Amino acid sequence: MLVRGTGSYVVIALLGTFGVAVGFVGAIGGVMTLVSSLASKREEHHRRAITWVFVMAGGCVLAVTAMEIGLLRDDFSMQYVAANSTRATPVLYKIATLWGALEGSLLLWVFVLSVYVTAVSISFRRRIEDRLVAWALLTMLVVCVFFLGLLVGPADPFGTLSIAPIDGDGLNPLLRNHPLMAIHPVMLYLGYVGFTVPFGFAVAALVTGRLGEGWLVLTRIWTLIAWVSLTVGILLGAWWSYEVLGWGGYWAWDPVENASFLPWLTGTAFIHSVIVQERRGMLRVWNLSLLLATFALTIFGTFLTRSGVIDSVHEFSASSLGPLLLSFFALILVVSVALVGWRGDQLRSPGSIDSPLSREGAFLANNLLFTLFAFVVLLGTVFPLIVEAINGDQLAVGRPYFDRMLLPIGVALLLVMGIAPTLTWRSTAGAVLGTRALVPAAIGAATMVLALLFGAEGLGPVMGIGLGGFVIGSSARHLVFAVVRNGWRGITGRSGGGMVAHIGVSLLAFGFIASTSFSEEGEFQMRPGDRGSVAGHQIIFVDIVDEMDGLNRVVRAQIHVEGRGIYSPAITQYPTFGRPIATPSVATSFIDDVYLSLVAIPEEDSDMVVIRVLVEPLVAWMWVGGLVIAGGSLLAIVPGRRHVRADSEEVGV
Amino acid sequence: MKQRHWISWFCIALVSSLALVAASVADDPPATEAERAYEIKATMLCPVCDGQNVLESNAPVAAAIRAQVDELVSEGRSDAEIRAWMARQYGKDVNANPPRTGIGSLIWIVPVFVAVASTGFLVFAFRKWRVGRGSELSDDDVTIVSSLREPT
Repeated sequence: MLVRGTGSYVVIALLGTFGVAVGFVGAIGGVMTLVSSLASKREEHHRRAITWVFVMAGGCVLAVTAMEIGLLRDDFSMQYVAANSTRATPVLYKIATLWGALEGSLLLWVFVLSVYVTAVSISFRRRIEDRLVAWALLTMLVVCVFFLGLLVGPADPFGTLSIAPIDGDGLNPLLRNHPLMAIHPVMLYLGYVGFTVPFGFAVAALVTGRLGEGWLVLTRIWTLIAWVSLTVGILLGAWWSYEVLGWGGYWAWDPVENASFLPWLTGTAFIHSVIVQERRGMLRVWNLSLLLATFALTIFGTFLTRSGVIDSVHEFSASSLGPLLLSFFALILVVSVALVGWRGDQLRSPGSIDSPLSREGAFLANNLLFTLFAFVVLLGTVFPLIVEAINGDQLAVGRPYFDRMLLPIGVALLLVMGIAPTLTWRSTAGAVLGTRALVPAAIGAATMVLALLFGAEGLGPVMGIGLGGFVIGSSARHLVFAVVRNGWRGITGRSGGGMVAHIGVSLLAFGFIASTSFSEEGEFQMRPGDRGSVAGHQIIFVDIVDEMDGLNRVVRAQIHVEGRGIYSPAITQYPTFGRPIATPSVATSFIDDVYLSLVAIPEEDSDMVVIRVLVEPLVAWMWVGGLVIAGGSLLAIVPGRRHVRADSEEVGV
Repeated sequence: MKQRHWISWFCIALVSSLALVAASVADDPPATEAERAYEIKATMLCPVCDGQNVLESNAPVAAAIRAQVDELVSEGRSDAEIRAWMARQYGKDVNANPPRTGIGSLIWIVPVFVAVASTGFLVFAFRKWRVGRGSELSDDDVTIVSSLREPT
């Protein structure tokens, strides 16, 4: 069917274009069906929209398959393949090239979106006659129409070249030297795009006026899945940049990182404050606004990072998408504000908060802090743009700013995280708090002493570590009581899983604080046989291997890290890419990481290398913490059990 | 609270404050020239590499800035002088810290303002909640309750 020859197999590109077109038609068909049946109040016709959803999903699957075939079979008649892949690219990275550049990443976005919308359609197929579900599906389909429209028009991934080059240009080498590149963007998109589902239900609740807690319960799992994917995606991104970029850090407050972090912050605020609404029926306006804001921020982040308005390592080529994304963002904002304004008086909640020293009070404090956190990140990200627009000044807002502003907020968040589980709903008596918080506080104090014994210093870091211990203490206390009461089910459900996730956050905080505050570094010019020492770690430069790998010159240094073995950081000069790319090598342990990277590519006939050695304590705890957070979130999805009633037969079993 | 709790809390507070005092004492301001140069480099952005600071970057211009910082520090220039010199040389956006004067200072002021205002709003709303609690009884409520009570 596919013929090799001149012009290669244009068929694949045609197949892709066809897939996108089918997807677009499917989305529009779904929207029109729902609009007409909602307008004419013929609930029995809602079901027809599901068929359109399947058409759309089929089109998206076809388009993605076509792109992958093109990439795997080196069809350089396709513009995207020619620009971003090469014959020599390993298979894994050929697959991952789908999300390596602008058009492909939008294709992935659309694909993930169609998977979510299909899953929603299937899981709600029996309730599709419910206007709430229909409106939610309609909202999601409108989002599909927008993104598929981008693929049809301005960001067509299936453009062809009249003369196919012999070989393609290939991705930025940074994007093809670590397998995490294959997972991190997918996880991130699963999170990013996943917030479309709760957004759809939030809009539907506002439109239909069914503002009770029903829609929240319907979307609980979807929100958690999106949240945990985003969390894991962000952490994998941090891990990737740690393993690949060669500077020993994992977070640079780069605009693209911030763009993924912003919806995470508001989403995190939401999954906490929603508990207050489910439990007490309060904070309705606030929760809806948080969901609307979370989705709006994903679009705003896409605008920031896909339009070329901001310089960033992640930035794709400047494109014409900017105005379109900005308009879509504006539309979402206007619709959201209008809906909330319209339904405002129906959103008044019946409950009240009796005491700030209560579970509700803690959730409110959590939300205030997360919102402030998000505000600072947003301000820091867009501030250079604002200033430049006002007076043409070029400013930078870098890590010192974010550190200074966010550290107090982070410390306060840890404090609230520690206290919250010891508080009761409505109000907590001082004596109860004094009893419940005692052991956790003692653990916190002991953690500080322990940290000092291990050489920690500085008020901020030690306080942070102490609060981390406090959080672990109070979460563990909660879990122990839950398990005593309910058996293994005590660690499931939102409160059990949540506490496990909090322990993960503390581990992550330990790793973050220790690695940013107590790292040591050294730079050595070495010849084979030379030794160096950083923070008690002896390293010996054993040998240098200088070889050609195809057209690339790869220089590999073999370095013996005493007690850890031989590690070989490398540096590669690609002919198609200006400056050499260093590939660091990390000797990991749970105590500290010895991070080795080559600073510059050595002279052709020299065996002298410049090696940078960074010793960063507890970095591995961050990745373990991330794993625990993900595990806790999955436990939270498992339905838990709050109480076993005293008269229940399960007591004592 | 039981008396032994008071004693335990006192011990915890004592240990914590001692630990925090010890932690702050151990954390000296940069003493040597090398430490001072390190701090400056960590807060200067490499002009060509999108967000990395000159300490971390492998770019040649970052290496040049590192050398210049070392030189200026050893000449005994103050931090502010060095930053100003770098800003003249490489543009204002070489400083990772936004300025504290002019329009740039807003980035420091606005979040503090927002924090104070939103906390204030919450406290206010909280008071209102407490006052308004349970005071409103709509006609519907009365009807429902009375209709339910009638049979008994």
